[in-house]
Amino acid sequence: MNYDRPELLDRLAAEYVFGLMNARVRRRFQAIQRALPAAQQAVQVWEQRLTPLAQSVPPAQPSAAAWDAIDRRTGGQASRPVAPKFAWPAWLKPALGVAFGVLATLGLVRLYPTAVVPVDQIVQQRGTLPESYVGVLTDAANNPVVLASSTRYGRTMSIKILRKVDVPPGKVLQLWALPKEGAAFPLGVVPSEGKGSFQMADTSEKLLSSVPRLAVSVEDAPAHAGTVPAPYLLTGNCVKLW
Amino acid sequence: MTASSDLQQLLARVALGDRAAFRRLYDATAPSLFGVALRIVRQRDRAEEVLQDAFVNAWNRAAVYQAALSQPMTWLTAIVRNRALDELRSGARHRAESLEDQRSGTAPVLEDERANPLKLLEQAADALAIRDCLEAIDGPQRQCLALVYYHGLSHSEVAGHVGSPIGSVKVWLRRGLNKLKRCLEALA
Repeated sequence: MNYDRPELLDRLAAEYVFGLMNARVRRRFQAIQRALPAAQQAVQVWEQRLTPLAQSVPPAQPSAAAWDAIDRRTGGQASRPVAPKFAWPAWLKPALGVAFGVLATLGLVRLYPTAVVPVDQIVQQRGTLPESYVGVLTDAANNPVVLASSTRYGRTMSIKILRKVDVPPGKVLQLWALPKEGAAFPLGVVPSEGKGSFQMADTSEKLLSSVPRLAVSVEDAPAHAGTVPAPYLLTGNCVKLW
Repeated sequence: MTASSDLQQLLARVALGDRAAFRRLYDATAPSLFGVALRIVRQRDRAEEVLQDAFVNAWNRAAVYQAALSQPMTWLTAIVRNRALDELRSGARHRAESLEDQRSGTAPVLEDERANPLKLLEQAADALAIRDCLEAIDGPQRQCLALVYYHGLSHSEVAGHVGSPIGSVKVWLRRGLNKLKRCLEALA
């Protein structure tokens, strides 16, 4: 099947979110979502669309044992501020291996899939890294702290924290784009250590093509468009990797 | 229900490993989410498993939640529905557990507790002010949509429920979903 066709992805995403797929087809489409950001986005659109229908379902009280089990199952991670335990697609690993080697002189980089073609295919077939935006943010002492990267036409910003950031309880680390002209705008919230990723409001190309610098500030809550940033804790250049 | 902005704050704190915030998020959202799971998987113990998995998942993925892209309840409900549908569709396990239930006496959810999904669809449509749009969808299509969305019925189960051939049900669902999409798109 040609999964590049948006109308096909839209139909499959609708059937997946609505609950029309059987177990086998669900598993297959979940694998496609992990490999194709476009499929993931189509699912998110349908989730946004259909979830309001669930609001009419009468609430029900789970037993106290349910919370106890959740507490127990997450308790081992209480000392880890972020717990970024989501599963990386298996095919991403070789891609990362290549990426880390090639970019050793620049620092470190984490890459996500492009819109339609897995990164490792591009790397292996062309021998070059995919077109991406990469930012390395440093602290006041010029230590590299945050590595942010996103493929040129993708919407996923991948984050690697190179040095743990101390965040006061209840605060968040907000990543900002500082365009050549105009006010800074928020991109997303980054973890204080480990790795993470978030979906941006648009593609990197649309958001970052005239953004030479990135910054991170400590905020009370995730920033929205129009929020005035708190003083920047980290800043760095945002470069085009092509 | 806790305001969406409050839930966003809680989720941001959960992303930082704040366990007290996690508990508050659970208290504020678990009853609604459990209700959704219970409708789909039909048994309390299975619904609690779904709820547990969903909250463990939310704890692990809170750092990637994006306030700009979805409301907290949308994000959480999607996690619960996905997990519940996975659970429901894993038929082999379901059959094994049903046998176990017969032996252990675990009571399935009574049918009347989850009766009338069409009414739920209409209530949701009223809340979203899309009732007129919903009413324009043919009755059988509406009925099929409600059975699938709220109770997670498969094509063949819907066919058995409404007493129509599976081919007709598939067509109704496809057309109904397209019409429902247009109703919901009008909201955006």
